Amino acid sequence: MKRTACRVASLLASLTAIAAAGCQNSSAPITSPHIEASVLMHQQMLQEDRFGLPAIATVFIPTDLRDAYNLGSPSGDVATFKSLIVAKLMAFGQDAASANALASALSPDVQPIDLSQPSNFLNGRKPSDDVITAELHLIFGSNAALNDDHVDANDVPFLTTFPYLAGPHVQ
Amino acid sequence: MSRKVVLILLLVAAAGLGVTRFITASDHKDSMLLAGDPAADIADLYTFRSPTNPANVVLVMTVSGFIPPSEASTTFFDPNVLYQWKIDNDGDAVEDLVIQAFVTGTGGHQVMHFRGPAKASEIGSTTRVIEGPETATVAVSNTPTPIVATRNGMTVFAGVRDDPFFFDLVQFKKIIAGEASAFRNPGVDTFAGTNVLAIVVELPSSLLGGTKLSVWGSTSRPQL
Repeated sequence: MKRTACRVASLLASLTAIAAAGCQNSSAPITSPHIEASVLMHQQMLQEDRFGLPAIATVFIPTDLRDAYNLGSPSGDVATFKSLIVAKLMAFGQDAASANALASALSPDVQPIDLSQPSNFLNGRKPSDDVITAELHLIFGSNAALNDDHVDANDVPFLTTFPYLAGPHVQ
Repeated sequence: MSRKVVLILLLVAAAGLGVTRFITASDHKDSMLLAGDPAADIADLYTFRSPTNPANVVLVMTVSGFIPPSEASTTFFDPNVLYQWKIDNDGDAVEDLVIQAFVTGTGGHQVMHFRGPAKASEIGSTTRVIEGPETATVAVSNTPTPIVATRNGMTVFAGVRDDPFFFDLVQFKKIIAGEASAFRNPGVDTFAGTNVLAIVVELPSSLLGGTKLSVWGSTSRPQL
């Protein structure tokens, strides 16, 4: 209460140049301490990383283009990177048509979701979805030695309620 | 190691070539810029309809992978990083709405602030904190019992959690190094027992302007 009262007094003081008598720190900034403390306010920021699909698309980006990719935007992905994905898939032995279809699903690198349908990778992504096995199937097809890592679930159960992720492992 | 690196390894395996040198060179962060910057290195992104309320959508971003139990209580977000979800609701892969999150404070006294969903003030790879009030705030909690806050219909969490990702990365590395020819059955989850920094938001889907969405995550820092 005291603090709020002083803030109000401080606000009035700043508006009317009347001293906020009785407040220990009447010249303190008026804004919320949380807001005023952010170093990000009013600054232009530059993207460092981005993430859409669980990285299949990024897999196909050569090392020397990875920073450019991380700094880029999905709207540029088809023009900049799709041909690289197609070429890579064809190098793996896929024919042009299937390589093109898969590359189209992987670019732009976003996580698509239709909220009118149940969520399952690739319609969104739930924590419990076995994304790696899905991707191994994509790459290795029917090769049973390699198309499943046989880790089918998380090491600890997910929560059924918010925030859904399990608590931290602690010592 | 970021998921991107994991999947770079997948790519290498798929190529089925002599690739050991490439793996050695790639077995850290996924780019030069992100090397040594785990707080800005996105580990995973999840988007799903809420299991507790079908009218809601849940957004999860994890960063700073492979936090050991010994560091679970001492790993925090970076106040110099803006964590952001970008949401396209009309199919052009350009963000129509953003949800922003950033922390203030240090050590065990961080607060995560949320703004949006709202129109971005800049589109693409440069960004600014959007004007206007915060939609929610929550104390960052690294404890087993999460601190959760709800405001403006949005429920939020930020802090250390178990890494939800699972994969037998160790066996996979052996396969691509030529030391094994198949996955183990059962496999062993390399990410078991490790933590990540997580930001979780649940909000009414109606706030996102459509049913068919494209979602991606980004991290940004002030330009020097």
